[in-house]
Order: sequence, then C-alpha cells, then structure tokens
Amino acid sequence: MEMNEDRKFGLEKSHGDHLNNHSSGVSADWQFNTPAMSAAPPHPSTAASLVPPLTSSPLLSAPVPEAFVPGLWNYHTMSVGGSNIQNTTSAIGSIPIGRPVAMSSKGMLLSTPPVIFPPSLPHFPADSGFIERAARFSCLSGSSFMDMNLLRPSQSVAPARKASKVVMETQVQNTELSMTGDKAVSLPAAYGSIDQSRMDTQRDRRSSHISNSESQETNFCEGGQEGNVDSSDVAGNSSPSDLGANKRKRTIRDMEKDQVQRGPQSSSEATKDDTETKHKVEQNSSKHGGKNGKDNSEAAKEGYVHVRARRGQATNSHSLAERVRREKISERMKYLQELVPGCSKVTGKAVMLDEIINYVQSLQRQVEFLSMKLSAVNPQLDFSVERLLAKNLRHSHGSPLSIAGFSQEMSYPQVYPSQQGLGHAGGSTMVNLSDTYRRTMNTQLPTMSGYKEPSMQMHNPWNEEIIMQMDYDANHPPNAQEINRKPDGFTI
Amino acid sequence: MDSKNSACGNPNPNPTLGPSKLMLAFRFLRALSLVHRTTPASSRTCRGRRIERAAYASMAYSAGTGRGWSRAVLRRLHHRARRRAVAPRRLSTTAGNRAEALRQLVPGGAGMDYCTLLEETADYIKCLTMQVELMQGIVDSSSSYGP
Repeated sequence: MEMNEDRKFGLEKSHGDHLNNHSSGVSADWQFNTPAMSAAPPHPSTAASLVPPLTSSPLLSAPVPEAFVPGLWNYHTMSVGGSNIQNTTSAIGSIPIGRPVAMSSKGMLLSTPPVIFPPSLPHFPADSGFIERAARFSCLSGSSFMDMNLLRPSQSVAPARKASKVVMETQVQNTELSMTGDKAVSLPAAYGSIDQSRMDTQRDRRSSHISNSESQETNFCEGGQEGNVDSSDVAGNSSPSDLGANKRKRTIRDMEKDQVQRGPQSSSEATKDDTETKHKVEQNSSKHGGKNGKDNSEAAKEGYVHVRARRGQATNSHSLAERVRREKISERMKYLQELVPGCSKVTGKAVMLDEIINYVQSLQRQVEFLSMKLSAVNPQLDFSVERLLAKNLRHSHGSPLSIAGFSQEMSYPQVYPSQQGLGHAGGSTMVNLSDTYRRTMNTQLPTMSGYKEPSMQMHNPWNEEIIMQMDYDANHPPNAQEINRKPDGFTI
Repeated sequence: MDSKNSACGNPNPNPTLGPSKLMLAFRFLRALSLVHRTTPASSRTCRGRRIERAAYASMAYSAGTGRGWSRAVLRRLHHRARRRAVAPRRLSTTAGNRAEALRQLVPGGAGMDYCTLLEETADYIKCLTMQVELMQGIVDSSSSYGP
C-alpha cells in the first residue's frame, strides 16, 4: 500500500532533513551503533570490505596508553557531528535506508572538517598505505565491529589494536586541533598531495572490496570531503597527544570489545568502559554542541542496522529502538491526520485518536445505513454491451456520469464531506462488467424505488447509467442534468 | 454468501497503490445484485445485513490479502458465513483505552501492535471511504430517477 511508500519516503526525508542539521548528535550516535548493530545481521559485503583493511591495519593494543586525552573522543564525535562541511549531510543523506552503519559512519567520518595541523604533525610517517588504513579504520571505528567480529573471529588482535590506536591518535589530534576553536580549517599544503593519493588509494581499495553502495559512499566522501578525509588521515599520522583519554578509551574499548570478544580481552571490562565512556560522550557532545551551532537533529535511519541517538539523549539500544518506534507511530499518526477530515488542527495523540475512532465509527455506521438503503434499491444490470460501449465512447470525455459526481452533489448525512470520485477505468473493463452482469442477471424485474412503471426501455438507460457511474473520470464535472434528461427520453 | 465474492478471482494485484475503486465497484455491484436476487423481498433487514456483509467482503477483496484488516474481514466472513453474523461493530465507548477501542473497530486489530494498528487503520479508512462513496453513489443515482 502506499503507506509503505509514504513511510519509507517519510523516513528518508526525515533522515535527510536530520542530516542536513547534522550535529555532533550524529557523531555521538554512531558510536553506539555497535550495540545497536549487535542485533543486526552482519552485512557480508560491508563486513568483507571492513575485513581487509582491518586485517592489514594494526589494532589497538589491549593496554590503553594513558596518554589518551579525554577530549579525544569528544572531538571525534564533535568533529564528526559539528562538521561544517555540508558534505556530511549529503553523504549521509544519500545513504539509502538500511545501509550498514559502516557506510554511514565512514561517510561521516570522512566528512569531518579539515583541521589545522600544527607543525608537529609532519613527523608522522607519511606512509600512504598506513594513512589509508588508519583513515579507513577511523571511519570504521564506530561501525560494524560486531559484523567484523562475526566474520573474522580468528583475526589477530595485535594488528587491529595498533590500527585503532593510530586512529585514536588521529582522532585525538583532530580533537586537539579543533578545540583550538577553528572550525573551518584548511589542510596544510604538505598533506595535500598525500591526501589526494590517499583518497585515490582509498577509493581503489574500497571499490575493490566493497559493494556498489559502499563505493557510492566513497564517492560521496571524496566529493568535496577531501579535507575531512585528510584530516582524519593526517590526525592519524599525527603524533599521539594527550587528548580525550576517555573517548579514546571508549573507542579502543569498543573496538576491542567488538573485535576481540573472542580474544583474551575481557569483554566485561570493555563493556563497563563503554558504559562509562558513553556517558562521557554524551556529556562531551552536549558540551560541544554549542560549537556546532546546529540543531539537535536525529539521523535515525530506518532499518534494523543503525539508529542514531539524538544528541544529549539516552543512546542505549532500547532507547534507540523506542525512538524509532515512536517516530514510526508519529509518522502514521500524521498520515491518519491527513486521511481523517477535519483533523489538521487537532493536536495531540489522544484527541487525534478520538477523532480517528469517531471517524471509523461514522464510516461503519454509514456503511450500515447505506446498505439498508440499498436493500430497497436493486440496480438493473441488464444491458447491452454495444450500447454501453457506444455510450462510453461518446461520454468518455463528454460528460461522464460518475458516482462521485452524484456524491459530491448530495450532502452526506454526516459531517464529513465526500471525497474525490472514483478513479479511471478502461473501456475494456466495462465490457467485462457488462458481460458479468449480463451473466449474473438474466432477467430482473426492476424494483428500484421511485420507478412506478418499470419497462425494458427503462432498463437500458438505467444500466448504462450504472456503467457510466463506473466510468471513472473524476476530473470531469458531474453532469446530473444529462442523467435526468436521459430517462426522459425513454418515457414510457 | 461467500460465493458471490469467492468467484471474484484474484484479489487486488496492486496492493501498494491502494484498493482499486473500479474493482470495488465491480465486486460490490455484483454482490448487490446477487443479494437482491437471492433474498426474498420480505426480509428487508436480512437483505440489509447481507448487503452490509457484501460491502465489507467486496472491500476486503479489493484491498487484497496484503492487509491485515482485509484478511481478518475475509476470515470472519468465511467462518461465520453459516451463522449469518454481521460484521461486528462494537462500540468503542466501553473501552477506556483508545488503542483498545481502535482495535475493536478495525477488523483484526486485536492481534496487532500499536504501530501496525495505525497503519491498518489508515488503509481501512481509505477503503471504507471508498465503499461509502460507492454506496452513496448508487443510492443517489437510484433515487435521482424518481418521478
């Protein structure tokens, strides 16, 4: 039914709108996609794409270095959310519903605003492959780790840890740089070439590994988001600085938990840290919300994979699911509001529900009342196909007699006004109708109310009228005059 | 009672586009003529109830089986064809909770979650309005020929 389309469209629309107002709330949200995604079935393509880079990229070591700055994760989320680059929204918005989180998170991260890197950065190894891996890993840090785990249980922990560590450093660096107060930053020229090459290599790698959807996202990321990617990459190359220890911990813990669940790492510890960091993330995100200057938008993507929590709100999986459910309900309530006449000014779910209930009741009463009325009316369905076709051809665009026309002229006993007339119908259908009716109704004495002297001559026009009533052409105005004239021509 | 609609053929082939008005009119008119043919003229109320059942049946057939409420209506019709039960319309005033009241109104609403209930209600309202328009049109066209 069109409900599905509306729903999907509405969800996509809201999705896009929220993304346009993308804020750090989104960034804060996708971190928690991991728990939310735990319930989602793994995406082979996405996970497969994630596997190679993770395999190659070093993972963070289990013992998190204390050098992590608490503000790291904060910036990471904030930079992602507070991205001035509108490409983020476009990238996210363009992501169709149901796409794995990895895609969106990757796109988001890639769209982080470029940051001004201090001169201390260049000391980082300019290994394009390493940078690429770090960047990709940073993008994927908050994404489907669970999927990766499911697909690669035997992955060694060490390389993944190292990569995540680098990513954390990248994020830390980004946080630090962004905290300097500069949102719209430009990449240093030193990294320009590297970035480009990174982008290309990333794109190539991505396209080689990922499905079409992912490649599209890559393109999105590339388009005008070079700065973001570069920033993340460069930050990854930057020297580790003391930033956002909590965020870093959380990310690392998260990654560890997701990737090393089957490893020697204690997932319980990771979970606990995640909980802690989640709160900190919320605090930090709310703190830095002002920097973004964007409204609290929700990029809730419909689908079982990812739902982003609103900024400053609970982000556990239950709350997210509850929010999705609430949004679905509100969307359907809006749709019902359009259906039920006179409900546009009604606000509130309770009153709206009352109106809906009353409307359904009134409709059912109408059906009962009209059925009682129709018990006295026996439509004459004996007619000739030729006359019908001729009439139809003649009246196809002339003055089609539609039931809608009659209905619109008459006023319903209830308050609700009549709606549009019936839809269009092909001429062939008329033939079927007439044939069917002819088959079912061989001989029928007219028992229509109002007819005193039924005759065969009266049957045809009446039948034709019936058929013409089904000649759906709501665009044409009803022509009751003609209808009244018709029987006159056949006066007995 | 079922035969008039069971021979209708496949249900609505375009469930996503909403119930087909033409098919609705087709089914209902055919059912109406059948009711008039089969029931004696004396039992007005009986015929009225049959017509009401025919209206709901044609509605459900036109909506297809893709909708929960249409399936519930057809289930109810097929199960109660022998008992001649009318499409129950319980008053919702007895139910304090509005969701419960809506569940009573919409056929098949008892086994739905709230979200699906709203969706089914929307579709049900659409089909109901179409049916009401059709029936009103028939009544009006028949009454307009009065001398």
